[in-house]
Amino acid sequence: MKPNRTVTPYLFLVPAMGVFGFAVLFPVIMTFAYSFTEWNGYGAMVFVGIDNYVKAAQDVLFRDSFVHVLIYIAITIVLEVVVGLVLAGLVSVRRRGSLWFRVAIFTPVMLPMVVVAVLWAFVYNNDFGLLNAALQSLGLEDLQRVWLGDTSTALIAVSVVSGWVYAGFYMTIFYAAFNQVPTEVIEAARLDGAGEWQLFRSIKVPMIRNAITVALLLCITGGFQGFDLFYVMTNGGPYGATEIPTTYLVKSVFTFQNVGYGSAMAVVLTVVVVGLGLIFTRVNREKPEEVRS
Amino acid sequence: MSIDSRKKSSGLARTHTAKHHAGWRAPLRIADVLFTAALIVIAVVFFFPMLWMVFSSFKSNSAIFATPFALPTEIDFGRWVEAFEVGHIGQYALNSVIVTGASVLAILLLGAAAAFSFSRYRFRGRNLFMGLLALGLLLPLQSYFIAQSTMFTQLAITDTRWALIIPYTAMGLPLAVYLLKVYLDAVPDELFEAARIDGASDLRIFGSIALPLLRPGLATVAIFSALSSWNEFLLALLYIQDDALKTIPTGLLAFSSRYVTDYGLLFSALSIVTLPMIVIYIVFNKQIVEGITAGSVK
Repeated sequence: MKPNRTVTPYLFLVPAMGVFGFAVLFPVIMTFAYSFTEWNGYGAMVFVGIDNYVKAAQDVLFRDSFVHVLIYIAITIVLEVVVGLVLAGLVSVRRRGSLWFRVAIFTPVMLPMVVVAVLWAFVYNNDFGLLNAALQSLGLEDLQRVWLGDTSTALIAVSVVSGWVYAGFYMTIFYAAFNQVPTEVIEAARLDGAGEWQLFRSIKVPMIRNAITVALLLCITGGFQGFDLFYVMTNGGPYGATEIPTTYLVKSVFTFQNVGYGSAMAVVLTVVVVGLGLIFTRVNREKPEEVRS
Repeated sequence: MSIDSRKKSSGLARTHTAKHHAGWRAPLRIADVLFTAALIVIAVVFFFPMLWMVFSSFKSNSAIFATPFALPTEIDFGRWVEAFEVGHIGQYALNSVIVTGASVLAILLLGAAAAFSFSRYRFRGRNLFMGLLALGLLLPLQSYFIAQSTMFTQLAITDTRWALIIPYTAMGLPLAVYLLKVYLDAVPDELFEAARIDGASDLRIFGSIALPLLRPGLATVAIFSALSSWNEFLLALLYIQDDALKTIPTGLLAFSSRYVTDYGLLFSALSIVTLPMIVIYIVFNKQIVEGITAGSVK
């Protein structure tokens, strides 16, 4: 491989960079530019400096949307990453014949979120929903709720759906990581009389630390970008109880035509997500030579 | 995260598993039975909403209301056919196939070419371009979709399939290039040099040496690109208003507001789009798991 002075390498690169530059990089720059303007999307664009960022900092709805998404992320860390870890632990104890189990748990990951959202809107349905019907048949009528219409339960209800979907996703990641733990280590621990739980807690989980870090990052940055479930199931309601930054900025831009303000919120969200990603990349680079998933 | 090391170690894991199985002749014990029972309970809890969905698709509204848990009295696929034909689910599925197919093909071809360029050549701007693509791994959709939508409106490509194929391709490229480059980096230089000495052109080396060697990598990239294009919702919602061009996610949403009270038909539509995915997972489960774990670097 020698330094190449011909145009050949560029010819191979141009199509990919062209599409990527056109549909991603250029719009990123333009979104950043919009964030310093007041614009309705078609009329005159007015430069307003950092006004939109000042407005965002003082906007109670925007601040609340971050509180909501942080609650959502906290719940999903438990329901997705922790549950996924436990499920992977269970499956990896007896690998034989576990395919049907993995199919049952993993299938939701394959489905479009909209399908999941419509299905779960039925599960939570007040009149014939599975959840209220189940509570009734268990004699727990007191617990019946209008799950998605109640400000105290809507956010949790949506988060649970996310957990239902992604527990299987993280199970898959962790299962693959567990499979890379050297069998000698596990056999040695078994010979020393370690039970399955001890094995899981003291050997397997510590050995897939890197996979767990990756999973946490994915769960957190993915959480900030969540949109589909919220849009279809509640669209921010009831009374803004499930408004998250993504639904709020989509409304600002596409319903209220505040392109400038929406762009500023998008930039804030981008800085959070990219910032977390960069911090993680640095942390992960400092301890390279370990079992990776 | 290095792909080739993962390749090796997953191969290693497979032989270990095999050994483990060969030596595993434990008698049936109560612990085993309890363990299996626990797995079944968990699987049923997870799978139940989907089971309920399929059962309900065979029921009338009144049966859905009166006995939500009961098995359907008869299995009649009439409603499924109705949802597929009258409810346009077939049309939405076709649109999804076209958009996903075109995006995946473009990602594979453009991604492989770019990876080839980065892996085989040293040239001015190489690090800059690789850095920009690496940034693409981290950038959320929210960082560009606002300006992208105004741009697409001005270029009048909203309400065409291009409005989805172009961004889906662009979104899939960073990870594709990254993964394929790792594969190509592992190919010994001599292979390419030998072809060059034989007088093969760069294009020919790419087409008849690099692409065939990349096949496993391309399969992995195809799987996760296909899944994310198939399931993408926000851009499809913003760019496609024409019902005849809607993909499954937005099409299903339109369907559900059109037949808002015909629950049997809604459950039929949900079942139609769900069942093929279960079959696909069972058939391609190895590739999908590989794609998912590879895609998880994103």
